Amino acid sequence: MEGTLQSLKQAIIEGNNKQAVELTTQLMEGGASPKEILNDGLIAGMSTVGELFKEGKYFVPEMLIAARAMKSGLNLLRPSLVETGVESIGTVVIGTVRGDLHDIGKNLTSMFLEGAGFNVVDLGVDVSAEAFIEAIKEHKAEIIGMSALLTTTMTYTAEVIKALQEAKIRDEVKVIVGGAPITQEWADQIGADAFAQDAASAADRCKELLPQ
Amino acid sequence: MTPKERWLAVLNREKPDRLPMDYWATAETTEKMLRHLGCADEWALMERLHIDRPVTVTPDYIGPPLPKDTDIYGCRRAVISYSSGAGAYTETVYHPLAQYQTIAEIEENYTWPTADWYDYSQLSAQVEGKEAYPIRGGGSEPFLIYKNLRGMEQAYMDLALNPEMVHYCLDKLFDFCYQNTTRIYEQLPGRVNISYIAEDFGGQEALLFSTAMIKTFFIPRMKRMIDLAHQAGAYAFFHSDGAIREIIPAMIEAGIDVLNPIQWRCPGMDRAALKRDFGDQLIFHGAVDNQKTMPFGSVDDVRQEVISHIEVLGAGGGYILAPCHNIQVISPPENVVAMYETGYEYGQIT
Repeated sequence: MEGTLQSLKQAIIEGNNKQAVELTTQLMEGGASPKEILNDGLIAGMSTVGELFKEGKYFVPEMLIAARAMKSGLNLLRPSLVETGVESIGTVVIGTVRGDLHDIGKNLTSMFLEGAGFNVVDLGVDVSAEAFIEAIKEHKAEIIGMSALLTTTMTYTAEVIKALQEAKIRDEVKVIVGGAPITQEWADQIGADAFAQDAASAADRCKELLPQ
Repeated sequence: MTPKERWLAVLNREKPDRLPMDYWATAETTEKMLRHLGCADEWALMERLHIDRPVTVTPDYIGPPLPKDTDIYGCRRAVISYSSGAGAYTETVYHPLAQYQTIAEIEENYTWPTADWYDYSQLSAQVEGKEAYPIRGGGSEPFLIYKNLRGMEQAYMDLALNPEMVHYCLDKLFDFCYQNTTRIYEQLPGRVNISYIAEDFGGQEALLFSTAMIKTFFIPRMKRMIDLAHQAGAYAFFHSDGAIREIIPAMIEAGIDVLNPIQWRCPGMDRAALKRDFGDQLIFHGAVDNQKTMPFGSVDDVRQEVISHIEVLGAGGGYILAPCHNIQVISPPENVVAMYETGYEYGQIT
């Protein structure tokens, strides 16, 4: 069991999608608890991937294939997680803002968040303030994550925060922003709660944003 | 000096009369500048601001009729507006090679564009009357097209999972570039000054893929384009956005002459360090920040930054002033004017 869990973790790290599916299935059929498979296989794998990225050893291709392998495992595991009452550590509503179709960073972030134990509601791209607000309310999200690649669309993140205030839900949700032109300075300027400079750090920042 | 003489002086490490300046902006930004300064057209704008923008030659398309909103590769685009309609970008929304798993499937189902789809006979006419300006023509940026062909995420995953497919497609794409560029040089023998040999290797914080992948997939093929440029008497103008410090030595070894855009806010791209380490081997082009300074800075911020670039990157020559990428439409026109006025004033060589 322990060996298979280690192998699953390794399959995630290597981005071996086929292995991730096989090993997750094997573990589930072998009676491992879904929580264990999640924490010691999938999350542990993604955590190492995050470290490798921070160390400058992993880049976009390695992260994408690792995240894809994790997602395959997680999709198999999800019904059992629900069944056994394993809860996510929190819900994040995430999207690329209005006028912006770029999503590779946001997609990696979504996968890292899932790989850290979050429930992620991904609204996709070109997301309006209204759509963000509706999703936050519907899913009772603790966190909203906004991504912008363009200098010309990053200003929309400020508009969304304004809309959260007008909808009187600003105090009920934490705001994190990220994307190429986004900086800590910008996050402070618009009153966001956090800034993530990459997908791996986003997971860390979001964990810090949860009620302790 | 003419703009062409100015560029060549810098490229040849001789003394220009002043710092040459280049202009990259979105169409909406240029429209705004024309209105702001009352210029009739782009060339009037270039003259007004003392900009030495090259003339770019492009052949005419004479290939098979293309479906609506579709390019020669079969990639369909959609126009996506931003900032409440202030501007728009075209984004690729259909990726013709996304559906294929193997090279055999691509060979069977897809037609690669060829340089025979273009007419090169009008290139001399394109530069007539513009002899004062440097000529830009030919080059390559194939991974950009590969991402459009396969979809961005799949393209990045292909580098790790489908290297044969990447090699196959890059060969096709580079062959097209090689043919296209060769024919451009043939039409304007000895007259093309720069060729744009590009690929985005860097993101905001780090390389997008490893130096090993860059050396496996890209550098040998880019070297072929660089050698072609040199044979034709053109300078190899290498563009890569982002944090690319790590790959610069390999690119210098491959023969690049100009490094663009010097995105100095990215880790590893400190200007003084780049000048110190590579200043004798590279001409720097760019540096004026268009993610923060130009759109959100004050006129004084812009002026100070330009002066700083002239002092750091331009010490002893070897620098052409330009924005890091297209100036965005949300940039105040006063900032654009300040950038070029400052470059003109402080760029005078005594």
